[in-house]
Amino acid sequence: MKKIMNSASTYVDDVLAGLVLAHPRLALGGSANRVVHRAGGARKGKVGITSGGGSGHLPLFTGYVGQGMLDSCSIGNVFEGPNVESCIDAIKIADGGAGVLRLYGNYGGDRMNFDMAGEFLEGEIETTTVLGTDDVASASPDEGKKRRGVAGIIYAYKIAGAKAEEGADLSAVTATAAKAVAATKTIGLALSPCQVPGSAKPTFEIAADEFELGMGIHGEPGLWRSKLKPADEIVDDMLSRLLEERPAGHGGRVSVLVNSLGATPLEELLIMYRRVAAKLRETGIDIVQPLVGHYATSMEMAGASISLCFLDEELEHLLSAPSGSPFWEVK
Amino acid sequence: MTGITVHTIRNAVEIANTRMATLEEELNRADSQLGDGDTGVMLSRVLGKFSETDISTSPDVGGALQMLARAAAATTGSSLGTLFMTALLAIGKKTKGMASVPWSDLSDLLQAALEAMIQRGGASLGDKTVLDAIHAVAMATQGVDDQAHIATKASHAADQALISFQGKPCKIGRARMFADKSIGIDDPGMLGFVRLVNALAAGR
Repeated sequence: MKKIMNSASTYVDDVLAGLVLAHPRLALGGSANRVVHRAGGARKGKVGITSGGGSGHLPLFTGYVGQGMLDSCSIGNVFEGPNVESCIDAIKIADGGAGVLRLYGNYGGDRMNFDMAGEFLEGEIETTTVLGTDDVASASPDEGKKRRGVAGIIYAYKIAGAKAEEGADLSAVTATAAKAVAATKTIGLALSPCQVPGSAKPTFEIAADEFELGMGIHGEPGLWRSKLKPADEIVDDMLSRLLEERPAGHGGRVSVLVNSLGATPLEELLIMYRRVAAKLRETGIDIVQPLVGHYATSMEMAGASISLCFLDEELEHLLSAPSGSPFWEVK
Repeated sequence: MTGITVHTIRNAVEIANTRMATLEEELNRADSQLGDGDTGVMLSRVLGKFSETDISTSPDVGGALQMLARAAAATTGSSLGTLFMTALLAIGKKTKGMASVPWSDLSDLLQAALEAMIQRGGASLGDKTVLDAIHAVAMATQGVDDQAHIATKASHAADQALISFQGKPCKIGRARMFADKSIGIDDPGMLGFVRLVNALAAGR
């Protein structure tokens, strides 16, 4: 597979160098330059929020560092979690003296590394953890804690970030982040794979006329595979699975994210969004702040995901608060 | 009889690092069956970093292992790498202040590493991971106090573990999602451990 790069071994560092040059509000730090953080550093007295994950998903994760969002983000090699040292660095950089929330996707390696980092810093910095678990295809609702974190985690970044910006303490920011995670559900579909730089083959194989519903952002197997269907039919299936998990007593307002996994163009996302909007209207649900574009990708994988964030008054208020990350700005 | 010293660890690192020259590709191939094919690259990177780490300044075995754990912490973020680091920290804690560790302690030290890895990673024995091979070696070396016998028994037990788990499904991690496909193939982490134990046993 053709890629524009210098070498597989410099791929991530070259990307990060470009990222901070293109977005001067971001800076690189940590002992191995694998932490992206707000250029101004941590704000004294504010709860810090840090995240992390493997490279290959931009704008996730590092692209959401900024005012009202993340304070820092440790980044690993492509599809490989950040190492413990980078997690430690990211927590330290995010710390403004009021504790740090570790907010990241539910993946084994990331969990182990952030847990170890927290243990190394015990007695030095107070930390809490909230895991992104929005992918409804990755486990059944009664095993919700086993679900993976995918595109929907950006709602937790935004909402928890706004809460921290308001001056809430660590326990309140943590509770709000957990509430945002619980309110957000995502399902994805894949059309074609990506290839990790330096790897000899793609992450998975799929026939040219097939798609897979529920596939994860690293090619984890989904729910089923079939011949490609019309967009409206696919969206209806995805949406019905998300609406099955609508919280009891939900007031009827959602934010919708229709996200490209990389190669799928905006045109196709808008075809999907058109159907999502129509179906939600039919169901009596109002859409607030729709997001359509590239928010969490899997390099050049073709496919898309739909996320619904079921809002209440507090979540909607925090969602609309100003934020200044390079890839999600609210004014 | 000489026990395990900083010098022993240094030699082991060199043997393992040299073995990676040919093992890297084999592990990448094994990992690419159900994973992203980078186990060999990762292990090579970690052992290369170990080789560059000067542990001779440590007066005791525990300190040397902690230095290696810190080197791993800065080198990899993969689950296997982090478990490796967890094992080093667990053994390092037990051997802190000991300039020489009796070979008869090796089984208990492996058991301590195993417990720490289970706690950290959440896998259980029988899930078809590196833990099963470590467990087999810990059991086989229990009560043995000389290096030569430990080498023979460890190598044999590691081989047997690999063979006995080949026909079983993987029950944890990404490979568990392909449980049926995991039957008949080696877990890359277990394969790496077994090949390195074989190399250490032969090169002692």
